[in-house]
Amino acid sequence: MTMFRRQFLVTTALVAASFVAPAAMAATPKDQLVIATNMSSMRGLDPNELNQLEAAEIVANLYERLIVLPADNITKPMPGLAESWTVSDDGKTFTFKIRSGVTFHSGNPLTAKDAEWSLRRLVKLGLAPSTDLRQWGFKEDNVDSLIKATDDSTLVVQTPEVWNPNLILYSLASFSTSIFDSKLLAEHDKGGDLGREFLQTNDAGSGPFSLRSWRVNDLLIADGFKSYWQGAPKMRRVILRHLPESAGQRLQLEAGDVDVATRLSSSDLGALDSGGKVTIQKTPGFGFYYLALNQKDEILSNPKVREAFRYLIDYDGLANTVMKYYGIKQQTIIPAGLPGASDSNPYKLDIEKAKALLAEAGYPNGFSKVYYATPVTPEYEVAQSLQANAAKAGIKLDLQGGDHIGKFRSREFELFSARSGERLPDPHAVLQSYATNANNSDEAKLTGLNAWRTAWDVPKDIQEMVTAAAHETDQAKRTELYGKINKAYLESSPALVTSFLRTDAKAVNKNVTGYVGHPTWLTRWDTVTKGE
Amino acid sequence: MSIAHTTETGWSGGKAAVSALRKVATSFAVILTTLLGLLVITFVVGRMVPADPVIAVIGDQADQATYERVYKQMGLDQPLYVQFATYIGNVAHLDFGQSHVTKNPVASDLARVFPATLELATLATLIGASLGVPLGIISAVRKGTWVDHLARIVGLLGHSTPIFWLGTIVILVFYAKFGLIPGGGRLDVYNEGLVEGPTNSIIVDAILAGEWEVLRDALLHLAAPAIILGYAAMAYLSRMSRSFMLEQLRQEYVLTAKAKGLGQRAIVWRHAFRNIRVQLLTVVALAHCGLLDGTVLIETVFAWPGLGQYLTSALFFADMNAVLGSVLLIGIISIAINLLSDITYRFLDPRTR
Repeated sequence: MTMFRRQFLVTTALVAASFVAPAAMAATPKDQLVIATNMSSMRGLDPNELNQLEAAEIVANLYERLIVLPADNITKPMPGLAESWTVSDDGKTFTFKIRSGVTFHSGNPLTAKDAEWSLRRLVKLGLAPSTDLRQWGFKEDNVDSLIKATDDSTLVVQTPEVWNPNLILYSLASFSTSIFDSKLLAEHDKGGDLGREFLQTNDAGSGPFSLRSWRVNDLLIADGFKSYWQGAPKMRRVILRHLPESAGQRLQLEAGDVDVATRLSSSDLGALDSGGKVTIQKTPGFGFYYLALNQKDEILSNPKVREAFRYLIDYDGLANTVMKYYGIKQQTIIPAGLPGASDSNPYKLDIEKAKALLAEAGYPNGFSKVYYATPVTPEYEVAQSLQANAAKAGIKLDLQGGDHIGKFRSREFELFSARSGERLPDPHAVLQSYATNANNSDEAKLTGLNAWRTAWDVPKDIQEMVTAAAHETDQAKRTELYGKINKAYLESSPALVTSFLRTDAKAVNKNVTGYVGHPTWLTRWDTVTKGE
Repeated sequence: MSIAHTTETGWSGGKAAVSALRKVATSFAVILTTLLGLLVITFVVGRMVPADPVIAVIGDQADQATYERVYKQMGLDQPLYVQFATYIGNVAHLDFGQSHVTKNPVASDLARVFPATLELATLATLIGASLGVPLGIISAVRKGTWVDHLARIVGLLGHSTPIFWLGTIVILVFYAKFGLIPGGGRLDVYNEGLVEGPTNSIIVDAILAGEWEVLRDALLHLAAPAIILGYAAMAYLSRMSRSFMLEQLRQEYVLTAKAKGLGQRAIVWRHAFRNIRVQLLTVVALAHCGLLDGTVLIETVFAWPGLGQYLTSALFFADMNAVLGSVLLIGIISIAINLLSDITYRFLDPRTR
């Protein structure tokens, strides 16, 4: 009995010891890529439904699109599933030759019919990303006649109006215009839902990776697609792990348990940057950190007051601290790298100048306003900095953190600041939102536009130039026009004050090559290789 | 079964049955009313949260037409009482709706996240109770000695240390520095997908499938968060058991037992402990309930895909179906644990029968 007991104890101790033995700290395998991410705002994986960065990157690799925009030359449309294309002389008819020999993950061949079905689906579902096509005049009732496959390898897209051809081609490179396996989705159609239910947990694409499993807020596994037409990807699988804490992502990256960390705080990025083991990628986007001054407010609609606010932002101080990894100082409205962009940043923090402007406006003793901002890094720190500087000039801002985007959309605010995320690599995307407002009345409800939300009656000449530039097919004339718009916007004391161009920072282990952050959220995994 | 029971007439047996039936019916009605009340409050509070569920779905840049389309699709154009009635009707058919965030049926989401939290909370409660109760009793018995002081310091630390801070420190030291524990999640990514279902508790599933390597990995991942939560539970339980025990030791029967010459051990364990079992059971059940819905911080720090994280992210995105489903589940579990402890009382304490 005693012997039995002793043996039992020894066995128990051994078993217990084996459980506490150090966990293997080996680096991730050479043929697998592990990405730490925050999945909590991911809304499914239907390219026609999602609207957010993390999901877009996944979809970019599960599906393909007619056009590819290379990360290092974002404004040059390159052949994707469309081998080549022509644009008619009147600028309204685009004819795409669809690549042959491409198969979907199901084994079905990809044809022009799939492309036709997919683009029509985007417009018909009419969810958030459908703007990518709807803004050019495609609607539920015209899309069947305007987007047509004339045979298995030819897709003809007609636009209702003449637009600059790049705008159409860029849109066809967006994650929303991904091409679906229409046969597979027909098999999985539930009561005419066009496969929506099926796509919540499955993919129907032809991309270099196929979806193996996805557990919300936990884990996503994608397998390399062996029959991919450009050759099987080097990574056998890509694993996305939900790590909501920045510190957790950083520690796992340092320990070699993950290869890429995508949601890091400024301080963690700084620490990793100086650690030397990882590369920090700052991918410029096409959105801005902005301050909106409601023009329905008597004080804020005074141009001198608007101008004063531009002297209350500590551009340089922020650029070296909280914004170091999140943005690039930019006071003009056309994102750097796009036609018409300028590197002029004439404003700097100047409390005295702001005070003088306030006095000229008739408010020498300042005023009090409520200021809404989202309580996330770095937006809240930027707001706090403005609040402190405004106080020095006599403006008392009651800073309220919270989810106030609904109030911004319904014009029920005084000051509001946030970050926008346009995805078209063209000045038009930003300008449409920041510099057009066809009808400034409350009833117009142009709630998709920042200018309308701010109740800013944008000067008519700026609005006319924005519209003309979007329709202009001559590239040189267009660039010139955007240069003019950029200047006019800067000089108009805008009610939407831009301070930083958005950048998205990722930390990538130095042994990973080919993981290149994409400005329109389409980072590729099939170009990734791993060294020692 | 007592002799008195067997000799009772059929009539009084019938009466007992009717009375038992009435009791069951009353408890059932109370439970239903409680759950309904819980849903009403959650529903109303949920509508007062400033987050806009439509924007959570479509993103902030969508235009008004899209907004209105989705607003209707989500049924938000209906009056509040209609929305609530529709929801209750669906729940009666065991349809908890779809989560706007995950796009899955809420029931299947809960079936996935709840076992993760249950594993964590149960192990933590076991750790907390098995250490906290003896610690509390010992410090009561040795009141005023160094043992008592030490126990109270340990308890105070456990009670006052923020759990997320402790979690971060543990990860920093034991994961980042020494590599003794994994960095988070329920499994190493390389063990993912090796066991799936039927219970979604990886420990149970791994045992059922005979996947010992997965079991080892799962326990390794579970250890740190469970010990931290267990420590917090221990702090609470040791304080409670100390005060329960102190109260008993002041009673006259203890004095009598001492006068009779009974040993310390017999007095504490055979007499006093028996009398505090019911109270202890109550606090252990309460601690378990608390852990089931209150582990969100530790779940975030350890990237544990449990109910706490699910509920928080649902609240953040005004995902009402997911919030209501989670609250309902927590309500049902709390009631079930209470019922279970009620039933156990009857075995432990004849006076409650």
